[in-house]
Amino acid sequence: MTLRAELLPLLFGLALASFACRAGGFWLMRFVTVTPRLRATLAAAPLAVMIGIVTPAALRGGLPEIVGLAATFAAMRLWRSDLLAMFVGVAAVALCRAFAQ
Amino acid sequence: MGREAGLSALEATLMSVLVYSGTAQAATVGGFAAGAGIFAGMATVLMLNARYLLYGASLRPWLSQCRPPQAYGTLWFLGDANWAMATKANAEGENDAAFILGSGVSMYLPWIAGTLSGALAGNWIADPRTLGVDFLLVAFCAAMAMDLFKSRADAVPAIAAAVVAALLDQVAPSGWTLVAAGLAGGFAAWLRHEDAP
Repeated sequence: MTLRAELLPLLFGLALASFACRAGGFWLMRFVTVTPRLRATLAAAPLAVMIGIVTPAALRGGLPEIVGLAATFAAMRLWRSDLLAMFVGVAAVALCRAFAQ
Repeated sequence: MGREAGLSALEATLMSVLVYSGTAQAATVGGFAAGAGIFAGMATVLMLNARYLLYGASLRPWLSQCRPPQAYGTLWFLGDANWAMATKANAEGENDAAFILGSGVSMYLPWIAGTLSGALAGNWIADPRTLGVDFLLVAFCAAMAMDLFKSRADAVPAIAAAVVAALLDQVAPSGWTLVAAGLAGGFAAWLRHEDAP
C-alpha cells in the first residue's frame, strides 16, 4: 500500500477533467431557456448516444457480438427487462467465443 | 489492470474514487505506463467523458429543482448506467431528483469495491473477454435503446445517430463517436420539432 506524491497532481488533474464533464453540461444549461424544441432535442440525445455505443461495437464485432446483440433484442422482446436482456446477451457472447476457440 | 501499470492498490482505488470512469481510467493508466504527461491524461478524460456533457444537460429540467450544492453533489456520481436508468424512470413519471443520486451511488460503491478487491487480488481470475464482460455495456445500451424507442418519431434521430456513428467509426474510432451520435440525434430532433404557434 504505497501512495507516490508525484502521482497526486496527475490523479487530481484527471479528477478535475472528469468532474468538469459531469457538471459542465448541467451548468451550461443555466444560460439557456428550455423551449419545447430544446426539450425535444435533449430528449432525443439518450437514445442517440445508446445507438452511438452499440453501432461501432456491432460493425467492428465478429459473429459473437452479432449473436449477442440478436440475443439481447430477442430477450428484450420476450421479457421487457433490460437487466435480464443484458445478461442473456453477455451469456450468448461468452458461449459463442467459447465455441469459436 | 492497475497492477500491470505499476499502480499500488491504494493508488488504483484512489483513482476510482476521484476519476470514476472505466474507459477513462483504462486509457489513462495505459498512457501513464507509457510515460504520458498530465495534460495528455486530462485531454483523454475530456474526450472519453464528453458524453457526460450531454447527460448533464439532459438532466437540467429535472435536477434544477435542487439547490446547487445538492445538484452538483449528485452529478459527481453521474455514470452511464445510472443516467440511463434515471432517464427511463423520468420518462415513466419518476420526478424525485433523489432517484438520480440513489442510482448513482449504487453504481459508484460497487465500482470502488471492485477496484479495491481487483487490485488486492492482483490478477483477474479469468480473462474478462472469455466471460463476455467487455460486452456488458454494449448489451445494456442495446436493451436501453429498445426501452427508449417509444414511437415512430424516434426513428429519424435514431437513424441519424446510427449513420453518424458508423461513418465516424470508419474515420477515427474514439470516445468522440458516441458524442457525435448524440449530437446528430439531438439535431435531427431539433430539425423535426415544430414549435407550437
